[in-house]
Amino acid sequence: MPEIAIATEKLTRRFGALTAVDSVDLLVESGQFFGFLGPNGAGKSTTIKMLTGLLAPTSGRMSLLGIDFTEQPVEVKRQIGVVPEGMGLFERLTAPEYLEFVGRMYGLDKATTRKRGEELLEFMQLADRPKALIADYSHGMQKKLALAAAVIHGPRMLFLDEPFEGVDALAAGALKELLARMTERGVTIFLTSHVLEIVERLCSHVAIIKKGQLVAQGSIEQLRAGIASVEGRTLTLEDIFLSVVGQDADRAQLEELSWLT
Amino acid sequence: MANLSERAGLIEQIRVVSWLRWRILRNNMRNKNRLLDLLGLIFSGLFSAIFVAGITVALFVGTGRLLENGREQFLGLLFLGLLLWWQLFPILLAGFAPQFAFRSLLRFPLRMSAFYLIGLAYGLLDSAAIAALVWMLAMIAATAVAQPALAPVMLVVCVLFAGLNITMERLLGAWVEKLMAKRRSRELFFSLFILSMVSLQFLNPLMQRYGRALVPVARRWLPYLWLLPSSFAGDAVARAVEHQWGHAALKFAGLAGYVVLFTALLWLRYSSLYSGEELGETAAPARVEKRAATALPERKERLAFLPPQVGAIFRKELLYLKRNTFLFFGLVFPPMMLLFFSVQFTGAHPTTFKKGISPDVFFPGMMAYLVLILIAPSYNCFAYEGRGVQSYFTSPVRFREVLMAKNLTTVVILSSEIAFCIGLVGWRVGFPEAPVLFATLAAMVFSIVGQLTIANWSSLSFPRKIVFGKMQGQRNSGMSVFILLGVQLAFGGASALILFSGRLTGNAWLPAEIFSLLAAVSLAGYFPALNAFTDLAERKKEILIDALCR
Repeated sequence: MPEIAIATEKLTRRFGALTAVDSVDLLVESGQFFGFLGPNGAGKSTTIKMLTGLLAPTSGRMSLLGIDFTEQPVEVKRQIGVVPEGMGLFERLTAPEYLEFVGRMYGLDKATTRKRGEELLEFMQLADRPKALIADYSHGMQKKLALAAAVIHGPRMLFLDEPFEGVDALAAGALKELLARMTERGVTIFLTSHVLEIVERLCSHVAIIKKGQLVAQGSIEQLRAGIASVEGRTLTLEDIFLSVVGQDADRAQLEELSWLT
Repeated sequence: MANLSERAGLIEQIRVVSWLRWRILRNNMRNKNRLLDLLGLIFSGLFSAIFVAGITVALFVGTGRLLENGREQFLGLLFLGLLLWWQLFPILLAGFAPQFAFRSLLRFPLRMSAFYLIGLAYGLLDSAAIAALVWMLAMIAATAVAQPALAPVMLVVCVLFAGLNITMERLLGAWVEKLMAKRRSRELFFSLFILSMVSLQFLNPLMQRYGRALVPVARRWLPYLWLLPSSFAGDAVARAVEHQWGHAALKFAGLAGYVVLFTALLWLRYSSLYSGEELGETAAPARVEKRAATALPERKERLAFLPPQVGAIFRKELLYLKRNTFLFFGLVFPPMMLLFFSVQFTGAHPTTFKKGISPDVFFPGMMAYLVLILIAPSYNCFAYEGRGVQSYFTSPVRFREVLMAKNLTTVVILSSEIAFCIGLVGWRVGFPEAPVLFATLAAMVFSIVGQLTIANWSSLSFPRKIVFGKMQGQRNSGMSVFILLGVQLAFGGASALILFSGRLTGNAWLPAEIFSLLAAVSLAGYFPALNAFTDLAERKKEILIDALCR
């Protein structure tokens, strides 16, 4: 029986009258490259924040790698890596300083932190400006650094919120390869992205959230099988997503913009 | 194909930009939803109105008196005041008031001439400009009353002078914008600003000592004031009063020459902006040579005695302090003020009192002042973390360690500053009697540890983000300021009473004994409180992340 990496049970988060995440039951197996999709405001970020300890759930349970998050948060955090929304960088540090900080926070010794930091900076093509402050980095460079920091301690699970946004094609290619190799070694990757082509290429399994509720979950093949194909064509993830989330409202709005088309 | 709209007219574009400026101002006011901010706004509005009205009356009376008493040659000084106000106030305000990146208008279909005129119109809507225009109206009105025939001359001079000031202010503003666009130059600007503000404290003692020697130097430079545009404006009116029309015309020409010069310079500056000059942080990145990865220089592990997480945060805090010019220069402030107070209140020739204060009073007073100044940032200790605060919640670390590392940084800074200042007091004033010395040191342990405990609670409960190198709206939340003031008053009051108890009872060592006991109590309470704050941080994390990640 495969090991369960993420299991949530009726995970709910309310903000006043708004229920951002409504009784979500997620199940992610270890080693899966898992894509978490949904339209803007559907509850993706809220879910990922709860799973990474940045937000407390209103109700429900969640366990990561078989450990109850509420009971042993520090033990869970020790085993996961996170690229949060907004990246969570200390912008007044240089990249080597930041990686040293993060490595030490995860309890790595100084020599290991230094060695891994150097290798990661080289891999991410950030080794050229060791004295530049992170504040002076471009958005893409900051994203690469946030990714480097998320993996420096060799996590068993990785949470990535829009990891390739702003990253150049060359670096994105190398990163995707790195992530794919990590999953081969049994690391679970939980990723959100609005670029469905990336999710389709990388992820073996996806879940789709709409208005706070999980509306689909499974392997891409399973989801594809659940939807009628169009003119014998193989359905893309975009077809699946639009079918599940619905696009009628957008079409109707487009009709109103006839002066632009 | 979509239909393109007609090109908007110049007047319409100016109107739209004026509307935009008004909406920015209005929306900024609308955000003042907290009672304290609203009160601040009302007070500052009232203060500004009184200030402008006061200067208006002063200029009306002053101009009238000068013209009535045949002292029109001093009109240039009034214009000099206006010039300084109009040029310097907006620059000072640039750091504090919300700024609108004027060049962002360039993405709209504007001609260069329209861009230029909109820039001028934008300058006219500046609060400094509006106040100066009101003041010039007062001068014209005073002229119309004192010498009605001269009113048209004063009107023309004021129009020219306003034109000069608008172009000059826009030009300086464009240069300041260029300066402020770069993080490093922005921080340097603020550092110099802070240092100059601190240095102003020494103006009085320095003037008392060297003032007389400076008078001949000032006299030597005074004649060159005639080169300033304000002198041309004042002299043009003065010569007209004396019916020396030839000289008056020359002064007019001089003033008009200035207007033409600054108009041309501003045109050149705006042309650069119009042609796409980029002012941002990422402008023209320097080509970097590919080189092997180099991380941090090899260092011996000096913080091995600390848990790794505490050591990591402590190191990060020190790096942040080093790179935060505002806080870093803030460390210079207490010793400088101590020097200043020692000149004012102590020694054989204090500048404030006839008789100097004794070290028994000066020493505890100064130490209380040091604690007050240096511990204040701890009441909002996450202020500079920004989005980095998320790291504390995603890392395997309890907030107990985070707070401990931050408090440790504060204690190290406080200890260094206090040690240096104790040496300074010893040199300047001398040390107090042993009972007072020990009582003060014990009181400081009590106050620092006690305040850090309360400051930790305040930081978690009322966080407010502060942006590096920015002064606009960069302050702690109203509640944390209230807490800081309340706690300082309570600690200060209690400490003063305890110190006084020694004299009252005739037992000189009593205050030292009481403070030692209190210090032990506050130390004993500090560590259990850290555990409670770990739970509090978990409950407050949404507030914390929301406030700091904006």
